[in-house]
Order: sequence, then C-alpha cells, then structure tokens
Amino acid sequence: MAVLRRLSLRDFRNYIELDISLEPGRIVISGNNGQGKSNMLEAVAYLGSLGSFRGAPPEALIRAGQPSAVIRADVVSGDRELLIEAELVRGRPNRIQINKQKLGRARDLLGIMPVTVFGPDDLELIKGGPGVRRRYLDDLLVQLHPRNDKVRTDVDKILKQRNALLRSAGGRATPDVDATLNVWNAKLAEAGEALGRARQALVTALQPRVNAAYAALAGEGHPVSLVYEPDWLGLGLFSELERVRSDELRRGTTLVGPHRDELEVGLAQMPARTHASQGEQRTLSLALRIAGHHEVGDVVGTSPVLLLDDVFSELDQGRATSLLSLLEADQTMVTTAAGSPPVDGPIQHLVVEAGSVASRNTR
Amino acid sequence: MASVYTPAVQALIDELGRLPGVGPKSAQRIAFHLVKLPEVDALRLADAISDAKAKVRFCEVCFNVSDEVRCEICSDDRRETNVICVVEEPRDIVAVERTREYRGRYHVLQGAINPIEGIGPDQLRVKELLDRLRDHSVTEVILCTNPNIEGEATAMYLARLLEPAGITVTRIASGLPVGGDLEYADEVTLGRALEGRRSVDVS
Ligand SMILES: [Zn+2]
Repeated sequence: MAVLRRLSLRDFRNYIELDISLEPGRIVISGNNGQGKSNMLEAVAYLGSLGSFRGAPPEALIRAGQPSAVIRADVVSGDRELLIEAELVRGRPNRIQINKQKLGRARDLLGIMPVTVFGPDDLELIKGGPGVRRRYLDDLLVQLHPRNDKVRTDVDKILKQRNALLRSAGGRATPDVDATLNVWNAKLAEAGEALGRARQALVTALQPRVNAAYAALAGEGHPVSLVYEPDWLGLGLFSELERVRSDELRRGTTLVGPHRDELEVGLAQMPARTHASQGEQRTLSLALRIAGHHEVGDVVGTSPVLLLDDVFSELDQGRATSLLSLLEADQTMVTTAAGSPPVDGPIQHLVVEAGSVASRNTR
Repeated sequence: MASVYTPAVQALIDELGRLPGVGPKSAQRIAFHLVKLPEVDALRLADAISDAKAKVRFCEVCFNVSDEVRCEICSDDRRETNVICVVEEPRDIVAVERTREYRGRYHVLQGAINPIEGIGPDQLRVKELLDRLRDHSVTEVILCTNPNIEGEATAMYLARLLEPAGITVTRIASGLPVGGDLEYADEVTLGRALEGRRSVDVS
C-alpha cells in the first residue's frame, strides 16, 4: 500500500508552515479558489514524480521571497515506513532525503511513492498536441520502471547535442560534421529505440484497460483504440536518420525520432481529437488516467496514491460516483470548491483557507 | 542592448561569464564581489592567475598539466609505453592514478565532444593522439572518458577513428555511477572498471 500519514510543508507555494496528519481512505479537501487546495496536492505529487503536475518550474513552487521550500511526509509504502524530505532551493538542484539519508541522485526517489494525478487540464490529453500524449506515456513509464527516467533524459540530452551540431553545421556536411553526426545518430538510435519500444509495450498494456474504463464510465460500448506505431521504429531509427540527413542539415534540427511521435486515440474508429464530443473527450481523458493508475498498481504491486484536483466540477453526480468506484487506492485526496463534497462518507475532511488547514474526521 | 555598467565592470562580467559553469547571474555576482574586495585581496587573485599561467603548462606529449616540458608520467621510464589511457581532463589522471591499477601512459583530450558548447573533434587533442600512435609502439588505447552522454559519444568517435588502424581499443567497464564524472568515482570502483575493460563495439 501507499499512504501518507503526515504532511509538513515550509514555504511551499502559499503555505508558510503546514503540519497535518492524514488518514488512509478518502480525504476531501475543500475551500474557496486560491486558498491552496491544489498546492497541497502538488506538494504530494512532487514526492512521487519530482516535478509539478501543473508543469510549473521548480522556482514557482517556492513561496515568493523565500530561498527554499521543504516538503516532508511520513509515508507507508509497501511494508516500509519512510520519512521522505524534499528541499527545493532557488537556482540549485533539489535535495532529497529518505529516513534522513541523503540520496546521491534525486531520481532515486522515483517509484518510492507512486502517485496518480487527475488534473483539471486533463482534457488536453485528447484535445491537445502530440506532446501532451507523449508526456502521458513517458510519465507512466517512469512510474512503472524508474530506470526509464534515464532513457527519457538521455534522449533529451542527445537531441539537444545533435540539434546544436546540425545548427552549427550551417547546412554543410564537412567530413568532421559527418563523422560526429554518425556518432550522435548511433546514440540517438540506441536510446530512441529503447524509448519507442517501451512506449509501444505500454500502449499494448493500456489498450484493454482504457476500453474497460471508458465502457464503465460512459455506460456504452464505443470501442476506444490506442495506436502508437511510428514508422521509424519499424524501419530502424539509424537508417531513417541517414535517409533524412541532408534535410536535417538544411533545416538544422532532428526530423525523425521519439520526440515527434503521436499516440493516436480513436473512438468508434474516428480520431477522438477531432471527431468526439466534448463529453466523450472528457470521459476518454479520465479513462486514460484510470488505465494508467491500474497498470502502475498491477506492475509495481502498490496502488498509487490518488490525487484528484478539481475533477468533479465538470462531472455530473453519476459519473463522479462511477469514477470513484473504478479507482481503488489506499488513499485518495480530492479537492473540490467550497460546498458539499461529492464523495460519500469521506473519512477525513480538510478545509483550506489562506494556506492553513483545519481537519475534521467524519469516520 | 546597451550595457548598464561602466565598461570596466562590464568587461569583468564578460570575462567571468566565459568560465565553465558560470552563468550570467553568477558572473554579475562575482564581479561585484571582486570590485568590493580590498585591493590586496583582489590583486592576490590576479597574481595567482598570472602565476599559474606563467608556471604551469601542458605536457607536450600527453597534455597533462606540468611544470616541465614533459610531465612526470611521460618522463617516468618505468611506465609502460605500449598502453595509452585517454581521459577528458588532467583531474581524471588523478582519479585513475589513485586506483594504482594502471602503469601505462595517458593522453588528455582537454574536453569531450559537446556541440552545445561548440566543441567538436577539432577543438580536442585528437590529432595529437593520432600522432602518438603513428609509430605502432602503442598496442592498446583505453578510452576513459566520463560515463555521460558527451563522454560516451567521444569514446565512440575515437573508437571508430582508431580501430581501422589496427589498434586494440577498449572502454572502461560499466559499473561506474552513470551520468557522473570519473573524478567522483571511488578508487575501488574505478579500479574494477579499468580491470574489466572491454573491446568497443563500433557498429
Ligand atoms: Zn605527459
């Protein structure tokens, strides 16, 4: 299981100091907009992914005018009890400690406490550009196997170096440029194909899960299709890079590879991005998140902590209820605007006001 | 954009900004720190720089830092001459020497292939390495570049360059902290990596 027992924050977003005990089960966090509900989930999610689920840069997570922020959590993960501490310092790499032992590399934290986040912008998973869906897959890959984080960052670094070389060549392939480019091609082919194959295996595993989740949420049986079949992965990235070499030299950038892939989501044999209704798109985006949550839970053996940020305002009562019934977790944190919580019988109710939190147990 | 500082301060910021690992913000901070320093302290730093520049030079054979024309390792007759260990920086020689596993000579590239910083094979001591291999007295080249993206790319580039010449090219074994620098590896780990070196796959 994965459960937070206690959460402390210092100078994180609008929280000056927070120290709160948390219960397993369902936690409803309510309050007016701008009081800090989502910030609390953002802090928890940071311990799972080492980043902001809202895509904010690390500096934005530190309270204005402060040099650093601290997130501290007592966590039960599997059969271990852990004190996880993250310190974010302006202009420096973050510092992570587990049970007071400093981690040599921050990314060793990944996979310790898996989290699944449902955010208010998840509709973008269907409506947004290909980059949103690539990130969805890659984030899941890291949760599934932390070593994928290295594959992903290696691809990014190689692409940056390779693009710099292509730009600086100014369109001319001297023998020197050619020889160096051959090396970067081999490196990109190796790392890129590892990432492509991992994405492909993940999509295959997600397909039946997405279908089942969509059918359960929508109450009808339109088939959902996930297609991830980049041409280069079949043909071999190295030979594809050779083929486009002169084009790349002319344009000064990498034209084939995992950074340009698309995960096509179809509903009833039509592209969901252009042909599904807004309601269908919303349900599809939820189905993608549910599928990821179940996949991580099954593979890792620990159901991720569930964080639902302002998801219910867009859903009717029926769908909200069926969403929660589909999502098994040892701990679920739900934010909702002021008013009655949409969840039945929450075990713990937190009210957030201007960065301070009052807790009420309704067991 | 016009400079908001006096020309002297701006020149100092520009020079500091050229140093490795110093961004524009740090350059500014260091520059103002230096300007505020008492004159003796500031001049001591300036002297240390010009002193080092005058007294320390690079070995004409391997490009290690040296007080003489040839460094101590290149002048040591007891060291084997048929093996060359290629490293990125002089500090990497210190790391390999700490292992006491290696008795051959070195070659310092003075960097790694890094297009973002404008460094290609031409900016490295690659031609000088080829010159050293010309008389066929060297039978093995060990590629001891850092286990990160740039170090791996440099190793692959050199392996492809050297293998056709019939030289055995080996790479230190994996097991080093990935993505890190050689200088941070402890001597036992680095010693094992040296011992477990393997021929490079150049395909
Ligand atoms: Zn020397």
